[in-house]
Amino acid sequence: MRILCCLDGTNAEQIGKALEMFSAFEPLTVGMLHVTDTRPREDMDLVRERFWRHPLHARHPPAPPEPTPRPSPREEEISEAEKASAEEILKECLSYCGGAETMEREGRPEREIVNVAAEWRADLLIVCSQARYRMKEEIGPKSVGHVARFVVDHAPCPVLLLRPMARQQFPINR
Amino acid sequence: MLWFFHLPQLWTALLSSLIALATLAGIMIRPFRWNEARVAMSGAGLLLVLGLISPKDALFTLLRDWNTFLFFLGMMALSALAETAGLFDWLGVQAARLAGESARRLFLNVFLLGTFISMLFSNDATALILTPIVYVLVTKLRLPALPYLFACTFIADSASFLLPVSNPINIIILSHHPLKLSAFLRLLLLPSVVVIAINVGVFFFLYRRQLAGSFDVERLSSPREVIKHKAFFRYTCCVLAVVAPAYVAAAAVQFPLSVVAVAGALLLLAGAFYWRSASLRQAGKAISWSIFGFIAGMFIVVRAVHETGLTTKFGNLLLHLSRGSSFGAVMVGTAGAALGTNLINNVPMAVLMNSALASIQSASPGVRQGFIAATMFGCDLGPNLTTVGSLATVLWLLILRHRNVDVSGLDYFKVGVVVTPLMLFAGAFTMWLLI
Repeated sequence: MRILCCLDGTNAEQIGKALEMFSAFEPLTVGMLHVTDTRPREDMDLVRERFWRHPLHARHPPAPPEPTPRPSPREEEISEAEKASAEEILKECLSYCGGAETMEREGRPEREIVNVAAEWRADLLIVCSQARYRMKEEIGPKSVGHVARFVVDHAPCPVLLLRPMARQQFPINR
Repeated sequence: MLWFFHLPQLWTALLSSLIALATLAGIMIRPFRWNEARVAMSGAGLLLVLGLISPKDALFTLLRDWNTFLFFLGMMALSALAETAGLFDWLGVQAARLAGESARRLFLNVFLLGTFISMLFSNDATALILTPIVYVLVTKLRLPALPYLFACTFIADSASFLLPVSNPINIIILSHHPLKLSAFLRLLLLPSVVVIAINVGVFFFLYRRQLAGSFDVERLSSPREVIKHKAFFRYTCCVLAVVAPAYVAAAAVQFPLSVVAVAGALLLLAGAFYWRSASLRQAGKAISWSIFGFIAGMFIVVRAVHETGLTTKFGNLLLHLSRGSSFGAVMVGTAGAALGTNLINNVPMAVLMNSALASIQSASPGVRQGFIAATMFGCDLGPNLTTVGSLATVLWLLILRHRNVDVSGLDYFKVGVVVTPLMLFAGAFTMWLLI
């Protein structure tokens, strides 16, 4: 069984616990995927253009006679921070599931996740309902973030959606 | 060519207006991947070749606005050299350390830091230098990036009318329509505070879910790490400690602010040479030289339109719509400038309004001051509505999305549409109370 786990920097423990349920499956191949969202960089470039500056990250490749411009120190710093953060997140997750295959991608997280799931031939996708920036657990329509929503709608395989425990919020209105 | 022909006034007016419209459209569409400077200079060049503006008039127009050109140069150099010294990185790390591991407090600190940087270095520095620094910071801290990026982008404009130097648009307008510092502060300081408070309040509400967490302070770099050269950093702080009050003093006595900005930049450049922190080439690369071509082109194009009397008519229309009252002046000035800035971008709109405001000289002092302050307010804050430049850009993004191309930038628009009209109205209303 091939299980692809989607990391967001806040869910290593949650995914580690979920994987324990599948430990009996043989053979089991686990993939850990982290996608660096490129939207913030694109947003920053749009703002640069508004201030009549050239974008930091060229959207179009330069025409053949033009050499590829050397990245600015700030651009390098951004890339390094993103790379370091992605590596740290993947490393942290390996402490819960040693031997997993790690994958780093860049792009729209929701689209990369479903594409990687198809390319990697995943039998199951594990995704958390949303990044856990706060401890309070919520139920309701806003408890599933846009990435999880997209993955559930577009996944090429079964999806295991991990929601935090929220029994204390029950019973709900009948 | 038209030097040799005598064209009726109507034709020259029509031709000048058409070239001006084509220039504005070209700036937004950027045909043949031309940059904005090339488009603006082409428009100006065409007007000169066709004899719709005389070379003497064009030269006089550019020389008259030396303060604007010099201010852009000084402002960009000052920010770039302060960045080289590591000042903004250091301030970012300090803002995070003072947040005490709370994502909310860091959010507030980003707003405060953005306000401070916009006030002293202009909105360019906040939007272009602080934003990537904050992005690196929140990436390291594993916090959601978008709320913090949006905070930087929006506060850059929301805090850009605290002082005349907080936005180069203010300099463009004040060079033609001077306001005493006391009048500037009387009319714009309190609206600034109101606008910033609304910006912070609405953003805290919009992003309350993402900001509820905390971060691990151990992931931060130490403040010492981000300073590349300690002596140059200290020197930069000292120079800026002199430049800040010098800005206020210069504005108070109506001394050209560009001279202060350039003097500050030269002092920093001397320090950078002394401590070998930056070369002239590096400093030159940090300045966007094409901006000068763009502004020069726009000044000439608008001057030609002014000669036709069209901008005067536009000014008279604004005056008529305001019904000669200070309330009307503030509301019409704000709405006109804000709408225009979203249609054709803020620099062209400010230059256009400069020309239009020439026709309000005969109005009462209250109305005149109301129009000038409201124009700065609308041109400074208006861009927050579309954020990505103009409605043309938003439409283009919408078309792309319609074609199933995933685009960013529309999120800015969604937030801008919610918060900007509120800020514009509240700020304009406060301004009216103060006239």
